[in-house]
Amino acid sequence: MTTNALSPMVNWQGRLLAIVTAALAVFGVAAVYGASSILAVQNGALGASFALRQLTGVVVGGLGLLVAARVDYHVWRRSAWPLMLVSLAILWLPFLPGLRGLVPEINGARRWLAIGPVRLQPSEFVKFVVVVWVAMLATKKGETVREFRQGVLPFLVIVVPVCVLILFQPNLSTALLTALVSGIVLFTAGARIGHFLILLVAATPVLWHELVNVQYRLSRMVTFLSSGAEVTEANWQIQQSLIGIGAGRVVGVGFGEGLQKLGYLPLAYSDFIFSTIGEEWGFVGGTVIILLFGLWIWVGLRIARGAADRFGMLLAVGLTALVGVTAILHVAVTLALIPTTGLPLPFISFGRSNLLVSIFSAGVLISIGRAGARARR
Amino acid sequence: MAKPEVRLTAVGIAFAIGIAVLVIRAAQVQLVRGSHYAALADSQRTETVVLPARRGVLYDRNGVPLATTQESFHVGLAPNELRNPAAAARLIGSQLGLSEPEVQRALRRRWAYFDGPFSSAQVHPLRRLRGVHLSPVFTRFYPDPDFARSVLGRPPAAGRPAGGIERVFDSLLAGTPGRAVVIRDGRGRVYESPSRLSAFPVGGHDIQLTLDMSIQEIVENALAEAVDRFGADGGDVVVLAPESGEVLAVASRRSDGSAPASAFTTVFEPGSTAKIFAAAALLVHDRVVATDTVYGEGGRWELPHRTLVDDHELDVAWITLDQAIRFSSNIAMVKFASRLRPVEQFGMLRDMGFGSPTGIEYPAESRGILRRPRKWSGTTAAALAIGYEIAVTPLQLALAYAAIANDGILLRPTLVREIRRADGSVTYSHRPEPVRRVVTPEIARRLRAMLRSATARGGTGASAALSTYEVAGKTGTARVAGPGGYVPGSHIAVFASLFPADDPQLVMIVKLENPRGTYATLTAAPLTRAVLEQVLAAQTAALDRSRLARGIPPLPIPVVPVDAGTVPFVVAWPDTSARPVRGPRLVPDITGLNLREAVRRLHKAGLNSRVEVVGDIVVRSRPVAGDSVEPGGMVTLFCARAGSL
Repeated sequence: MTTNALSPMVNWQGRLLAIVTAALAVFGVAAVYGASSILAVQNGALGASFALRQLTGVVVGGLGLLVAARVDYHVWRRSAWPLMLVSLAILWLPFLPGLRGLVPEINGARRWLAIGPVRLQPSEFVKFVVVVWVAMLATKKGETVREFRQGVLPFLVIVVPVCVLILFQPNLSTALLTALVSGIVLFTAGARIGHFLILLVAATPVLWHELVNVQYRLSRMVTFLSSGAEVTEANWQIQQSLIGIGAGRVVGVGFGEGLQKLGYLPLAYSDFIFSTIGEEWGFVGGTVIILLFGLWIWVGLRIARGAADRFGMLLAVGLTALVGVTAILHVAVTLALIPTTGLPLPFISFGRSNLLVSIFSAGVLISIGRAGARARR
Repeated sequence: MAKPEVRLTAVGIAFAIGIAVLVIRAAQVQLVRGSHYAALADSQRTETVVLPARRGVLYDRNGVPLATTQESFHVGLAPNELRNPAAAARLIGSQLGLSEPEVQRALRRRWAYFDGPFSSAQVHPLRRLRGVHLSPVFTRFYPDPDFARSVLGRPPAAGRPAGGIERVFDSLLAGTPGRAVVIRDGRGRVYESPSRLSAFPVGGHDIQLTLDMSIQEIVENALAEAVDRFGADGGDVVVLAPESGEVLAVASRRSDGSAPASAFTTVFEPGSTAKIFAAAALLVHDRVVATDTVYGEGGRWELPHRTLVDDHELDVAWITLDQAIRFSSNIAMVKFASRLRPVEQFGMLRDMGFGSPTGIEYPAESRGILRRPRKWSGTTAAALAIGYEIAVTPLQLALAYAAIANDGILLRPTLVREIRRADGSVTYSHRPEPVRRVVTPEIARRLRAMLRSATARGGTGASAALSTYEVAGKTGTARVAGPGGYVPGSHIAVFASLFPADDPQLVMIVKLENPRGTYATLTAAPLTRAVLEQVLAAQTAALDRSRLARGIPPLPIPVVPVDAGTVPFVVAWPDTSARPVRGPRLVPDITGLNLREAVRRLHKAGLNSRVEVVGDIVVRSRPVAGDSVEPGGMVTLFCARAGSL
């Protein structure tokens, strides 16, 4: 079970996943170009500057995918603890004095790590590490995850501090996503549903505190709960997102023809890129994108089901959830189904950290699927 | 490991539900509510804007622009968009002529707006600045704002009605504004989108007026000077081209400096200038022959209702019709006119255009007053013969004289020579529009001869005579009627003239109200001469110089049979009375004069001139003042700008 690392054979699931990933990533470059070119030109840059940066992410991510697909995924199980320790260290950086240059404040948050000209979002990588770490520990615990003190509590000791550190960047949505994906892995591993309910009740005061104390989140929440009300600054974003998607109607207004990006829809190339897609490609195009993600999730879960071992299954579920949940939540935000959060659409939204991690995750999934196929033979 | 399989299935089902919810929601937003959102999207980001059309240009008859439309700009400023506020503030301040505090105040606001409008040259350096937003507007520009102001008028604007030509031809000048649908972004900025232009703006028609800039300028200046010099309450001058009915110049001026269009709108009693029309009626109806005479009553004739007085002493007791015109005898004219039936007298005045609007392209026009014979009183016939109980505008009078100049055909007057579309194609070109034939060419010639005699030596209009060409004309000094009869000491001096007398190219009416010096001979006639001398000196194309030079053979002098006891007055032509002496003449002192006046003086002295150094004021001449030169010799002028002295 550990000797399949160098086999070049990739099963059909792996190929399908690679094709869907590539399709989404390439479409993403075009979508980013369409949604950002006017803004880029207005800011005095080359019209394609966003798209070119995204393209470098796709190329680097593609290389990462090839490497990850060929590497035995058990390497992640072995390196889970070191990776987690590094992650915790990086997440501490914003709270240390004298590191403004390394961890600059952008738009009121310190989510980015500036290394030379490259700006990374550590929390994107941390999400991956958390999934690896939870899968590793759940595999090690085996049936013990059904207990609380010996099973669930050790996870909380690490995952809760990680989430809190991300929360304090501040980045509530990523913190919640990290917790949710960890929960899905634990759920698959067999943790009791009662324990999740207890944790949910325990977390409620913290979440409430966060929502009420940070004004923009509260106004987003109020906006969401009163979406029929008159247009204010608070619900402007979501209203514009709906106008854009709605105006796309059946087949959309055509690639690049969308007008919501002309200052109406903020972050049309990242946090609201599905709105741009919906406007330019209509219901047909939007549904195709949603179904491609559905296909990606389906393949990911099939790989999990056919994984060669418990770690492979849990890692596959975690990575599938990492991409799938993010995608579903992003689309849900643009369709005003949940309150506005800053979640990217994996493979498509502008932002290379998420792009790299998402594509890399696909590579790891391919590796798991290949091992599973060999094991069944 | 049955448990993980179940849990995996549960995760799969959760994802499936999530994706199904997304697709259903997308269908609701895009398919069910799609049209609603599409309408919202359109309404928030498209805007129909009106693209202003360029207003047509007004030109003088030679193509000199009198009113043009220029693109100018309002300037908007968004201080937060400025890259370098300090440098931008300096540039904006200096380019727009704003004070330092004004600019600083603007910089503190979120959005500042400078109405201007500012010229293209002013805003050009600001185009490259981020944060400066220019909005173009068309503004009307008058190279000389006071030039023919009442005639040109002004286009309609907020709170001000239009006037003059700008009003009459507003629909032609205005053009058709275009329409465009523009895309507006979230910050309100507008994106030009030529493909959504729904209608191109069509520029207005250009109009070439009949006004001659040089003559108009001469007339305006001469009138202003005359009003000032004679202390008159006001005055009007109309200059017509008799063969076409084109108004070459029209100027009005009040003593307070204002210039209403009174040449078209205010009426006066023409006095002696109307005697020629009574003469015309007598000739048309064949009620008089050249030898007929009436008794002059020694210059004072008591009638039942009024006393007629002749101001000019005549050395003959019996007066012919020609003499009655020449010496402007009221008594003789009343006596001659009594040979006419009222309908004949009325008919001639009506045929001359009095009592009806002329049809000039001006927003307001007076039709004058001419009563029908059945409303006449017992004195009307006598009054009409000498220009009372009739009210005319200076324009009407000019047209009637133009009919005499034009061999008896009355023309409709016009201010418009040509109208062209914005693309240059001509849509209207003025042709003389005859109204009617008033008198036969022979009678018109006789009338001209009478008028010519009036400007000859001894005639009432002699002070209008030029040294070079002959002028035909008639003076008139009318008392002014007030509410209770004629106002003592109040009078109007008029001089109607044809130039040159034998083949008229200009008809001019000069009218002064209450001038010191009273008689038209002393006021309106010299003003006429001053204008004509300057027009001759000016480089204007309105005069056909080849026709002037040709020296058309004189009309046959009417052969007046010599009657026993009377010395017939023989009208000499060409008039030699004012002919300058032959032989070398002295160069007048013209230094310090303005160029036009200098050329006029030289012309008067029978010398030609040539300008070597152009400017406003003559600084020296060659040969210098006092040197003697052959007649027609050349004097070279050296000028300087008025400011540089």
